[in-house]
Amino acid sequence: MKMLSSFAGKSPWLYRINAGSCNGCDVELATTAIIPRYDVERLGCQYCASPKHADIVLITGPITARVKDKVLSVYNEVPNPKVTVAIGVCPISGGVFRDSYAMTCSLDELVPVDVNVPGCPPRPQAIIEGIAEAIKIFGSRS
Amino acid sequence: MPEILKLMLEVLIFPGGLFVLVLGLLMKGLERKLRARLQRRVGPPLLQPFFDLFKLMQKETTIPEEAPAGLFQALPLAGACSMAFAAAMVPIAGAYSAPKELGDLVVLFYLLAVPAIVLMLAGSVSGSPFGAIAFSRELSIMMAYEAPILLVLLSVAIRVGVAQGGWIALSLNDIVQYQMQHGAFLFDPLMWPALLSFLLFFPANLGIAPFDIPEAESEVLEGPMLEYSGPLLGMFKMMSAMKSGVVVGLGIALFYPNAPAGVLGLGCFVVKCVLVSSIGVAVLRTSMGRMRVDQAFWFLLKWPGILGALSLAAVLWRH
Amino acid sequence: MWLSVLFKNLLKGPATEAFPLGEATATPKRYRGRAMFDASSCSGCRTCEYVCAGGAIHFEEQSDGLHFTLWHNTCVFCGMCEQNCMSKAIHLSNDWHLAHTQDKKYAMVEQGTVPYKPCLSCGKQMLPTPAPLMELAYRGDSLRIAELRQLCPDCRRAASAGGKR
Repeated sequence: MKMLSSFAGKSPWLYRINAGSCNGCDVELATTAIIPRYDVERLGCQYCASPKHADIVLITGPITARVKDKVLSVYNEVPNPKVTVAIGVCPISGGVFRDSYAMTCSLDELVPVDVNVPGCPPRPQAIIEGIAEAIKIFGSRS
Repeated sequence: MPEILKLMLEVLIFPGGLFVLVLGLLMKGLERKLRARLQRRVGPPLLQPFFDLFKLMQKETTIPEEAPAGLFQALPLAGACSMAFAAAMVPIAGAYSAPKELGDLVVLFYLLAVPAIVLMLAGSVSGSPFGAIAFSRELSIMMAYEAPILLVLLSVAIRVGVAQGGWIALSLNDIVQYQMQHGAFLFDPLMWPALLSFLLFFPANLGIAPFDIPEAESEVLEGPMLEYSGPLLGMFKMMSAMKSGVVVGLGIALFYPNAPAGVLGLGCFVVKCVLVSSIGVAVLRTSMGRMRVDQAFWFLLKWPGILGALSLAAVLWRH
Repeated sequence: MWLSVLFKNLLKGPATEAFPLGEATATPKRYRGRAMFDASSCSGCRTCEYVCAGGAIHFEEQSDGLHFTLWHNTCVFCGMCEQNCMSKAIHLSNDWHLAHTQDKKYAMVEQGTVPYKPCLSCGKQMLPTPAPLMELAYRGDSLRIAELRQLCPDCRRAASAGGKR
């Protein structure tokens, strides 16, 4: 099993959770997957549709009051080992929506976060840099 | 019991089990790389499906509360085992002939249906509404493509059987031997409807665009395998890799098995598999979108069905 | 036919950027990335703190000067601070390598201190007027302006109204 685990870092599957985001960061995440210019598949990643297949969880959006429990329940469905990446400034601190009535908490008070990618929205290359960092952490964790 | 041991080796290592798994994963890796190059992307490394499998083997297994745990875990195992047995029944011309103890064309036809049934059951057992939708879609597609493939198998079997004196030849070994002696069916105009029908059937069977409906990612969230994770999902991936090897091998045995003997014959088989599965499938997947369920159902009943019936009628009429 | 498109794609080769397995393509010069604060040009007007969309800029008066802190994890890189700063003390460079691990979350700051200077006349601690602001307002220094600049606002008022000529 130890030999197998050295290969695990070569196949991280990504799963997106939109926790009340304005969709700016989600559009950027779509570009890193689909368009040929920022191909994320060469790192071994692929976007999966079910949280049970995921390894790296990408969370965008401030954690609004409506969506907090749902984010937590979907996050708990992702099997271990997993790595959490906060994309954009909203999950890190609230971004422009800080002090709003709909904001509850920042992401690291809800789930353990591993990598932060600031930006509003971050550049696709910056997102790939964050994902590459997360892949390294995933390889060391499995 | 050397006989039993030999059978076990054939089912588990070559050509069943390990060999067809490695072949299927290599074909899949090549197809993904080619698909990326066709879209002007770089694409994953060629061994990526192997890495995917190794990674899946070490994630934790989660079983949903609504699912019966025994059935939930037994389904992928049943699927993978059926494909290992099916692979041992497909002859490779010049290198391997299927043993009679395992069964003939009828058993192979039933075994080919097992992965679809396993996927359907997995969808319904998982207890999520997406799984239920996937169950109904898989059932519709399966009903549509089972009839044409039966017609194709019957036409090839009757053709060979009549030429050999009986009325039907149900052993794939006989079919392969006949083609080695009298020329492949690929070049025989009488069998071209059957060939076209098979070419239309095999994307539907393997879940490839434009018929990848049960596993449609953006529509039903990966359908039947929605609630599976870790080693169980790994076994589903193994099952689908082995199934692609078996179905392409079956197609080659039915229509163009001719190859020199020995290791070269094995090499020819691998090259043919690669040509069909990697290049053909990559072009198909890159260029086509996905059909709706009702469109796919009627399409598969109509065209492969008509072609298969045509081929059967031609074979019967000739003799 | 679409097959010819696929074939041409094969011939043209991949169009993928080499990052992160190689160098990224050149970043545009005016890209708004990491903020740089130049303490020698800051006049302490706090306009940037007022217009900051994400509330990232924070000023604090301490004994040795005015402390400027910008936290990148709530900055939305809008550039309002750069646009509204009259003395061009804050500038968004085109550095976009900002992804970091969780432990460095509170270390992603840009800090600076505008040091206090004592007034030549009464000795009170004051913020000096930066050179870019003088350039903007008076097109540079003259001898008289250079003298008045060294005084705190109260002493400056006294000097220019009824004091020495």
